Amino acid sequence: MAELKGPESVSGSMPPIPASAQLLAVAWLRWRIFVNGMSRKQPKGTRQVAGLVFVVLLRLIVWPMLAMLVVGPVGASGYFAWTAISEGHPRYLASLLLGIALLWQFVSINGLSIAATIQSFDPESLVRFPLRFGRYFVLRSLLGLMTPSTIVGCLALLAAAVGIGVADASLALPALLVMAVYALMNIYLTRMIGAWMDRWLANRRFREIFSMLMALFAVGIQFLNLHQTPMHGRRVRSSWLLNILHSSGSYQYWLPSGFAAQTILLVKHPLAALAQFAGLLASTALFAAVFAIRLHKQFLGEYLSEGVSRSAPAPSAPRVKAPEPQPAARSAPTVFGAILSPTVAACMRKEWLILRSNGTQLIGLLTPLLFVVIFSMNRAFSSFSSKYFLPLAIAYVLIASLSSLYNMFGADGRGVQLYLLAPIRLLDVVVAKNLMSLTLIVVQVGLAWTIICVLARAPIPVSTQISTVFWTVFVVALNLAIGTLRSIQAPRKFIPGQARQPRGATPTNRTSALLVLAVLFGSMLLQIPVAIASGYFETPWLAVWIFAPLAVAAVFAYALMLRNAERLILAARDVFAEELCKA
Amino acid sequence: MTIPAIDTTALTRRFGDFTAVENVNLRVEAGQFFGFLGPNGAGKSTTIKMLTGLLAPTSGSIRILGGDLQANSAEIKRQIGVVPEGLALFGRLTADEFLQFVGRMYGLDRATTLNRTRELLEFMQLAGEQKKLITDFSHGMQKKLALAAAVIHGPKVLFLDEPFEGVDAVAAGTLKAMLLRMIARGATIFLTSHVLEIVERLCTHIAIIHRGQLVAQGSLDELRAGTARIAQAGIPDDAALGLNEGSPDKRSLEQIFLAIVGADREGNPAATAPEQELSWLS
Repeated sequence: MAELKGPESVSGSMPPIPASAQLLAVAWLRWRIFVNGMSRKQPKGTRQVAGLVFVVLLRLIVWPMLAMLVVGPVGASGYFAWTAISEGHPRYLASLLLGIALLWQFVSINGLSIAATIQSFDPESLVRFPLRFGRYFVLRSLLGLMTPSTIVGCLALLAAAVGIGVADASLALPALLVMAVYALMNIYLTRMIGAWMDRWLANRRFREIFSMLMALFAVGIQFLNLHQTPMHGRRVRSSWLLNILHSSGSYQYWLPSGFAAQTILLVKHPLAALAQFAGLLASTALFAAVFAIRLHKQFLGEYLSEGVSRSAPAPSAPRVKAPEPQPAARSAPTVFGAILSPTVAACMRKEWLILRSNGTQLIGLLTPLLFVVIFSMNRAFSSFSSKYFLPLAIAYVLIASLSSLYNMFGADGRGVQLYLLAPIRLLDVVVAKNLMSLTLIVVQVGLAWTIICVLARAPIPVSTQISTVFWTVFVVALNLAIGTLRSIQAPRKFIPGQARQPRGATPTNRTSALLVLAVLFGSMLLQIPVAIASGYFETPWLAVWIFAPLAVAAVFAYALMLRNAERLILAARDVFAEELCKA
Repeated sequence: MTIPAIDTTALTRRFGDFTAVENVNLRVEAGQFFGFLGPNGAGKSTTIKMLTGLLAPTSGSIRILGGDLQANSAEIKRQIGVVPEGLALFGRLTADEFLQFVGRMYGLDRATTLNRTRELLEFMQLAGEQKKLITDFSHGMQKKLALAAAVIHGPKVLFLDEPFEGVDAVAAGTLKAMLLRMIARGATIFLTSHVLEIVERLCTHIAIIHRGQLVAQGSLDELRAGTARIAQAGIPDDAALGLNEGSPDKRSLEQIFLAIVGADREGNPAATAPEQELSWLS
């Protein structure tokens, strides 16, 4: 090893570190992380060609969809702003700005967990460097500006300014200035919500309560919709949501969106416009201040944890003398152990214990069933055709459950090493995990089925029920086969039921997530030509004849995969070590 | 009177109802190689986090090099280096990029940063890993990189949380030599390690924390002589532990440590021998 020179002195009167040096260093860090993230390890040979083909196909589908998500809001914003000014509906401008803000915040909150999976940089880690709070605040304000919600939100506001300018050129400059401040307000509102959510979601109990509230909110909205939507056959006058928005129009003028809109609309009355602009500035400053309060606590070393310190010792138990050694005895069979091999039973019990203690995951399993109840009670849904409603509802219930099949080892993390070290057949572990997932799917589908049969307005034909059984077996077996394969070949470490994953951790890798959607939607879409053909030939049992062989084929494919599972896991030990056992 | 490198007064940290660190009064003189010991969960990492400004104390004060940490955190952070428990590396950077970033954050100019980065990478034997991302480094390599990042700005006080864990023997030897040279040049090192032989060989002064309370503090000789004990409620005194008996010069740090923290509240050094509890083991 080389000899290090003595450290150059940093003592005495040290010159202050220029703000630009630290800000540029963080910008450079972010850039390098982005660049390094782009250069992934490439597979070789035929797998490289197959991967490339898959990526190209995926992008052909995904990119136009993403482009629509950007072009849609931006184009609509410009058009509505132009309409509001040119056709004399100034009140619509406040509604438009409120809509953009709501969409911005909604996408941002829902994108928090996605952002956490993409970035490998936690801005909170900057507190260990010699930064002053002002610089930390600026850095935290700037970091994360390149998120989809911010980009689309800013573009939508720019489009609105352009739309206003096109409608009335004299409003162009004020509109641009107001939209810039309104964008800043939204950025600080997002930051404020994100920082406080981070604070609250750091506690597991709060996360569970939050998940439950979100689920109840979603269900509550649907119940409202159920009671407010006119019955089938009656003329629909307007949506209850639009009614609320219309009736709340006057209140909008007390919101930042109202201040922004009024500033533009009252530009010919400078005093009034200035007063409105001051309101917008004040709300921006308020959000920035609340965000700063939270940041300051982080800066001073606030500890966010599941409860007590991670290094907290367990209360020391008094030492007790061990009982006299007894000969090893076989324990009484448990629910799992009565039928299954000891390894499968032990693994299933472990999966059950983890599930039982994870409230968020349990809520996630129950929520689709609540929606099935709501949809079944809604005549508009359940009576449009009873033969389509059942498979649709079952597909809906399956979406959430099937994705977990694609990363069955992810939640084990480093614990996966135990499976590789223990004197067991790895096939047993796979079988146990699949059996646990299958049990949950069967319970969920069974309950959904019962709910639909009890609440449906019209009886569901027997042919539909039998064809749905075969379709379900086909979809579940197919997803089990592909999911197990992906779980072995592309595992990803994650913490189940937690929205705020550690950096770099994801419930499934992105290819698997897209694959599960492709397989599920592909198999759902298969129902359409089958239904058309069934109607065309007037043979209601046609679907049964089509789905029955598909179900058998999928079960066969799954059995084939299981036969090779042991060999595949042993071959993928390196991937396991790299993906699941890393720090 | 010299200004101590680290000086805490009644340092306390609570997490809800749980008190992780209670009323700790540490004093580390400048130029000392200070070992901070304690069993798992005793409060070592919590204390280090507070001393480095990563965790706010519930009460009490911390002075580093004479300055109040809470009031002058940015200035004090410039003078300290830390190898934290979780290493705090950016996995998607290369080692070279990471050290350049850290150098710039600590206010080093570009030329100095580049020179020191090159020197440190060579010294840590990481120079051959130019394109490898940190996330693909072994644990030992990550430790060496974290240590390089902790010293790139030439800190006056260095906090090391288990710095040798996972580092191979050759590299560990070189790192120890580097740390001793830093001490010779006047730096202060605050080290925690579970490997008591390393602490005994490197450190001149030692403190022991147990159940969040400081139970001993002093030089190695004072510990051997049994004069470094701090009276704490519920912790048996030296006489009860037999620390004042026998030849103090022959007592190893491990023996002293086990005598202090291995005892229960009644002062019984070891209630049950482990082999009696696990008699079914072959």
